[in-house]
Amino acid sequence: MLKSMSVVREAIDADVGDEPDGAMAESEARQAASGRKVLPIVEGLVLLAALIAPLVLQDYLTVFATRVIILALFALSFDLVWGYAGIMSFGQALFFGSAGYGVALLARDLDITNIFLVLPAGTIIGLTFALLLGGFLLLGRHPSSVIFVALGTLTGSYAADRLARGWYYLGGQNGIPSISPMTLGGYEFSEGPVFYYLTLGILVVVYLLCRFLVRSQFGLALAGLRENEQRIAFFGYKAQHLKAIVFAVGGTIAGLAGSLYAFHEGFVWPNMVGVVVSTQVVLYVLFGGSGTLIGAVIGTVIIEGVSFWLSDNYRDIWPIILGVLLLLVILFRPLGLISFVLAERERVGSFGAKPKENEKEKRNAAS
Amino acid sequence: MANAFVAAFEILSFGAIIVLIVLGLGIIASMMGIFNFAQGEFVLLGAYITYLAYSHGLPIWAGMVAAPFAVGALGFVLEGLIIRRFYAAPIVAMLGTYALGLIIRESVRGLIGGFYLTVPEPIGGSIDIGTVHISTWRFIIIVITLLVMGACYLLLSRTSFGLRVRATLENPALARASGISTPLIYGATFAFGAALAGLAGALIVPVFSLFADLGIRFLIQGFVAVMVGGVGSFIGPVAGAGVIGTLSAALPWVMAPVIADVLVFVLAIAFIKFRPQGLIAGKGV
Repeated sequence: MLKSMSVVREAIDADVGDEPDGAMAESEARQAASGRKVLPIVEGLVLLAALIAPLVLQDYLTVFATRVIILALFALSFDLVWGYAGIMSFGQALFFGSAGYGVALLARDLDITNIFLVLPAGTIIGLTFALLLGGFLLLGRHPSSVIFVALGTLTGSYAADRLARGWYYLGGQNGIPSISPMTLGGYEFSEGPVFYYLTLGILVVVYLLCRFLVRSQFGLALAGLRENEQRIAFFGYKAQHLKAIVFAVGGTIAGLAGSLYAFHEGFVWPNMVGVVVSTQVVLYVLFGGSGTLIGAVIGTVIIEGVSFWLSDNYRDIWPIILGVLLLLVILFRPLGLISFVLAERERVGSFGAKPKENEKEKRNAAS
Repeated sequence: MANAFVAAFEILSFGAIIVLIVLGLGIIASMMGIFNFAQGEFVLLGAYITYLAYSHGLPIWAGMVAAPFAVGALGFVLEGLIIRRFYAAPIVAMLGTYALGLIIRESVRGLIGGFYLTVPEPIGGSIDIGTVHISTWRFIIIVITLLVMGACYLLLSRTSFGLRVRATLENPALARASGISTPLIYGATFAFGAALAGLAGALIVPVFSLFADLGIRFLIQGFVAVMVGGVGSFIGPVAGAGVIGTLSAALPWVMAPVIADVLVFVLAIAFIKFRPQGLIAGKGV
């Protein structure tokens, strides 16, 4: 933790450009840039595996893989909020689930299933809820404590769960079953390779957008926020606004994932907005490695994959194993599994950097 | 009149249950700044131990007496092994205790299966006042809650152990410098908080029956109560628990239960937002 803090400080110092240890940061940044980068390799391998997966997997496994991809998209939203801005959102499922419920209602009551209508609708629902909750919890005259935000989001998610369970219009305990499939003109997206590549395409686009975001100057401010909020505030950034923006972006992505999930599974149920899914996404990201977008994806794939694999024989003890693994990761590998291959410096990234070659470096960072 | 009396009793008895559960949570949160996500599972363990005693033919009250000691001992061990590493980072502590809770909950689920197991009340029957009947056991829970509250208060305010605890709470560095073993105090306090949760679980299991998600139901209500009451003092969380428990039990009498359920949380979060220090600010007893 301390180490990463100093790294960001150096990065920030280098960005400001009047600190003596800029020279050190410069040499290290160059070293990192000189071909020892692991992150793009990992990302490339994951993408390659994802691309060929449906070709080698059986049909029912492709359906499962599609679900994993959607959950990875959801995990990405949490990683952005927690891994980059340091906001512990224990209620990320609120946006995921409310978007799912929203599109399910669109399909059930208004017969709207066109992909170009339902996905934006779900995304906007996620954004709206995130703006409302994030605005309320994060903004205001006094900065909110991290504990308050964590418990506030958790409570929001729990309250939504209770509401969904008790509200007859939303189907109560059973949720909304048999949602008609998403359509594009006359084509119906049913489970299978087409749906898989659709979600994969969306994941890749969102991933690249997130990657651009966290490697931009905005992302630098975020990293500073995560490591030392006070210092960022002293630099003149409006820390609360930055947080609210990231929270809203996270909610938007979660909403997109939620609407895809609703159509893929064909039903929505109260757990989807509740604490169970909220904590599940926390597990994915912590396990894979927070603060690296690819870590969220890898964590989702591993946890869901092992869970699927064990579900036949060891269904009962799997949650216990998961708890033990999580505890071990928190205690001994707080940066997640990805930290086995990824150096601390690369995780934080090299943005901003040298005053001399500021322009060139920025271009590198953006690409 | 009779109806109003029954309503008042229901509200009071639910409020007492929440207070009982929040006591331990509040003591741990105030003392160590940790929101213990495993607290709900300590409640569950207390309930499970009571059920074990009952199913092995022992008297139920024996299980109820054993539960707080067993859960407290477990709390002491867990604090020494794991929780201790989390003090510097409250968010990591939440995740770590969540993982612990997950392990305990799923282990218990594996042991009892997905069933709802009932444990009879050790003292059954009802107290009749004119035409009104109130459950004896619920009445006893109220009495025990009051006794436990009083005992906790006296322990913290009148004994030398309480003095050390308060010293550690207010200024750990100075407490250490004065020769108080703060790690031991932390361990003892955590164990004490866990024991209270175990006692709560043991007492409520005849009312709610035993199932794996018993603890979760109360956990979030407990957190909200602690925040509403104010972290840092003994009396704050108790007051918060009283308010939240009373509201949760009272509102369904005047509006649809679904809306009441959600409204309690919304009101509580809004209250905390505008008064972050809670009902009762400040440290101490």
